[in-house]
Amino acid sequence: MKAKEILGEDPEIVLADKRYDLISTILATSLVRGAKKWTLTDMLDKVFIHKTLGIPVFIALFWAMFRFAYDASAPFMEIIGLFFEKLAEASAGIPNEILASLIGDGIFGGLGFILTFIPPIFFLFLGISILEDSGYLARAAFIMDKIMFKLGLHGRSFIPMLLGFGCNVPAMMATRSIEGEKDRLITLLVNPFISCGARLPVYVLIAGAFFGSMAPTAVWSMYLLGIVVAILLALLLRKTILRGEPAPFIMELPLYKAPTFHGSVIHMWERGVQFLKKAGTYLLAGAIILWFLSTFPWGAEVELSYTGQIGHALAPIFSPLGFDWRIVASLVFALLAKEIAVEALGIIYAVEGVSAIEGALVASYNPVIGYTLMAFTLLYIPCVATIGTMKKESGSWKWTIFQLVLTLVLAYVVGLIITGIGAILGYA
Amino acid sequence: MVYTVALIGNPNVGKSVIFNNLVPGARQHVGNWPGKTVEKKEGKCVHKGTELKIVDLPGTYSLTARAVDELIARNYIVEEKPDVVVHIIDASNIERNLYLTFLLLELEANIVIALNMFDVAKEKGYKIDVKKLSKQLGVPIVPTVATTKEGMKKLNDEIVYAAQKKGLVKVKPVITYGEKIEDLIQSIVDIIKDGMLAQKYPPRWLAIKLLEKDEDILEKIKGNRYQRELMEVLS
Repeated sequence: MKAKEILGEDPEIVLADKRYDLISTILATSLVRGAKKWTLTDMLDKVFIHKTLGIPVFIALFWAMFRFAYDASAPFMEIIGLFFEKLAEASAGIPNEILASLIGDGIFGGLGFILTFIPPIFFLFLGISILEDSGYLARAAFIMDKIMFKLGLHGRSFIPMLLGFGCNVPAMMATRSIEGEKDRLITLLVNPFISCGARLPVYVLIAGAFFGSMAPTAVWSMYLLGIVVAILLALLLRKTILRGEPAPFIMELPLYKAPTFHGSVIHMWERGVQFLKKAGTYLLAGAIILWFLSTFPWGAEVELSYTGQIGHALAPIFSPLGFDWRIVASLVFALLAKEIAVEALGIIYAVEGVSAIEGALVASYNPVIGYTLMAFTLLYIPCVATIGTMKKESGSWKWTIFQLVLTLVLAYVVGLIITGIGAILGYA
Repeated sequence: MVYTVALIGNPNVGKSVIFNNLVPGARQHVGNWPGKTVEKKEGKCVHKGTELKIVDLPGTYSLTARAVDELIARNYIVEEKPDVVVHIIDASNIERNLYLTFLLLELEANIVIALNMFDVAKEKGYKIDVKKLSKQLGVPIVPTVATTKEGMKKLNDEIVYAAQKKGLVKVKPVITYGEKIEDLIQSIVDIIKDGMLAQKYPPRWLAIKLLEKDEDILEKIKGNRYQRELMEVLS
């Protein structure tokens, strides 16, 4: 007797089918389905996971979330900003010149400046928590999954993508739940394009300076750009170096329920608190190092300091994008963590004696350069922690370096495209 | 005598609410499954003078060897042999949920079914003949609404009752795969039934897993004296 003759090539499916047949037979006598009543979940799902409506609704809800995060955090940003401004002024009274500069320009001007951008992170996480707790985020995953599957991405890829909005490091670790090696590698390669919380301060600073009331929309467009780039790149990889078919995936949609205040706030806190921890450790250390590099050799102009030298050395490469030495130096330091770009700009300007940074930005650059900088921050080399995670999760330096080069090239190309479109619109 | 009770079910069926209903918060213990990053919750409770140790297994749809959480759940049931396995079912999705029941029946677990979210099923217009279904499956079934604690006392009673009579009643297999496949299963059972593995695991289950080319079991069969004979049937 041969198993293959009876069960064919895929015995697991044959046996599963038999079990389901049997379940149907049993239930035929013990279950009466009755007339289906409409539940709230059914009604909401008619709209939220509708074939054509689903995606516009998703995009609109996402936009509303950014609008909310931006508007709700404005007064808090104002308060924190004022607080550190006063502290910086007070520190000017410290008799030792170097110490005064360290505390005033480095700690308050740099670390304090980045801390003003913490409220949007918290409110964005609150928005995400509310969408998640209500059951909507699972629907968002469902509609995205449909597109992604057509594009050749594995369904389980979406969960790491969702986590990526918080931080790409746990998101990349979550790819372990993806079965196929190729499926997993694609998800790892595109995950850093999902805009994490650390990029938000950069967007909020730049968008606030250049786009006025359109700022939340500009920030939202970055998140969409990240998703689009991730999906297109996944498609490209699937068609070229990582050919294959994704494995099917069943996902379950929970019932909708009203999110509780308590639950959502706890979720927000769990996600947001890591940024506070980061501020107390890495960003503080970063501020001290950055301050040192920007003020020494002591007495020199910032432009001639170590920071200035680094910026100037690399600036020619980025001049097509309109980036000057300040931006270039900030982007170099931001490799440690993306929010350091904001910290670095804060310190460079503070040492130069400028406190109204947004005004200084508007005076030095135009909106196209601002938007290019936002997009570049989104796309270029992820932070060191992400690089380390990529090495660990892919187990290969080859793929890690591939990702580094890919992100850098992509950021540059997208930057050029934005600059080109800007030029057509009349910004030189 | 402390009875071990394992809770199993698909994700989103209210398993953790049932766990919380059974075990008071203070007596819960959260840890990890040995060597894995999957969370393990357990705790003790006393019902009508009988002490129960409740173990919460990872939420799974099936019991293959492919995913870590499924393998944890399956290994716990076959290797630790809990006195009772409580399968929590989402009554409003009963058709899909029963698949896991079938896998548990094949594992020859001592099952009690909690037909949870019974209110949602009713709302959906489902009329489930619990008595009849219980008879068809040969398993006690308790309708529950975990969130309002409806049916929890009855569930506790059934768990204790099932734990006490474990091994006294031998149920014949409910699931039959049709003559041809059954013959195939029987021929494999005949080959392996005297081996070491069959002492530890239910032979019929082993046979089915071998037919499904289950990696974990194929690995375990390697080097056995009947491997050759077996491969002839399986190839």
